[in-house]
Amino acid sequence: MILDTGPIREMVTFRAVAEYGFERLQEELHFITDPESYERSSQFIGSFRSKTTSASVVAELNYWIRRTEPAGLERLWNRVAEEFREMQMDEEVVRLVDMASAGELGLGMLAKLGSVDVSLMGLALRHARDGALLLTTDSPLCGECERAGLHVSHFQDVVLPRD
Amino acid sequence: MVPDVASPPQHSKRVEAWVYAVLNPVIESLQREIFLLSKGNLSWRFYSKKCEYIHPIRDYVGLAQRPNYEDFLGDPLNTGFAEKYAAHDRALAEVELKASQFSNGLIHAGVFVRQMHESLEEYRLLARTNPLYRYDESLKGTLPRAIAELLVNRIEALPEHYGTAKFWNNYRNKFDVAVEELEPYGERQAFQALVQVREALKELADKLLHDMNAHRQLLCRTFDIPAAPIPVGRSPSHSADIFAI
Repeated sequence: MILDTGPIREMVTFRAVAEYGFERLQEELHFITDPESYERSSQFIGSFRSKTTSASVVAELNYWIRRTEPAGLERLWNRVAEEFREMQMDEEVVRLVDMASAGELGLGMLAKLGSVDVSLMGLALRHARDGALLLTTDSPLCGECERAGLHVSHFQDVVLPRD
Repeated sequence: MVPDVASPPQHSKRVEAWVYAVLNPVIESLQREIFLLSKGNLSWRFYSKKCEYIHPIRDYVGLAQRPNYEDFLGDPLNTGFAEKYAAHDRALAEVELKASQFSNGLIHAGVFVRQMHESLEEYRLLARTNPLYRYDESLKGTLPRAIAELLVNRIEALPEHYGTAKFWNNYRNKFDVAVEELEPYGERQAFQALVQVREALKELADKLLHDMNAHRQLLCRTFDIPAAPIPVGRSPSHSADIFAI
């Protein structure tokens, strides 16, 4: 599984609030609203043998951390690092020169989606043979992945109860 | 000649700084500390031998605000807090020491090593048929420490997406039941010592939180200042900015 910033942020934040008492972060939760939706997300992510993300996502997490906890940067970074450690998350680099020159991606896609999303599409292509699934909260990225024939799921669909 | 130190005036910026930069973050951190201690979760980590979310009081205050912290402790209006903070920090150091002693003893105890070996072997066989059970030889080295950490922190179940969840959620009872008695591991005394210092820390944190809340109220009433900065001309949704002094 390849994780985008949104799902990582949600998983980190819920655990920080529920397990470690960071009540002020509650307002950062947009998809996971209760223990049941966290449980569903956890089971879904846990049903994949390995998890990875792109180094660009970590850069995007940096922006979120700085905006969210200006007075507690170390605390929130620590929580994110702990979550990566617990999830045994891998982190891969997709080089800009590769993004810009790849046939399926290219400068057009970079201009349209930005480097974070394109790096994730790059990872999805890299791991396509293993049937990797990209999990995101970003609807335009979902659409582009579907058009490119890449496996993708919107986090909203994972969080919602199945009928 | 050094002038006499006068009591701060009404609406004193200095007192505001004590409340916003010292008392408020420490109170918030103590609330979180008590929340964790009530559950028995020390947030203790094997790799650092430290508690992730329980810190010496000074560390709850941002680096940039340390001068206000020192000013707070040095002013006669706040007499007694330096000693209370020191007592808290000594209790925390004691907790971290006992947690290390307990976990070190545990991972070297013959019964624990055997139990770990048997459970891992069973898990290894399960992993052959179930691709979701990840097994590699490095687990032999890392898992005993991870299990000791979970036992120190009294963690019941791990979220399914965590790497050790499949192992822990399957074999938890085996280890968890034993930890109540710990006689087979020969670690009962070390565990009881850890529980004792954990309870002592919680008692201190409870008392400190009560005293700090009372002191904040006293300062706010005496010097007529709000208990938190009032946002001026900003949307209330930007809480991060509001809370930053």
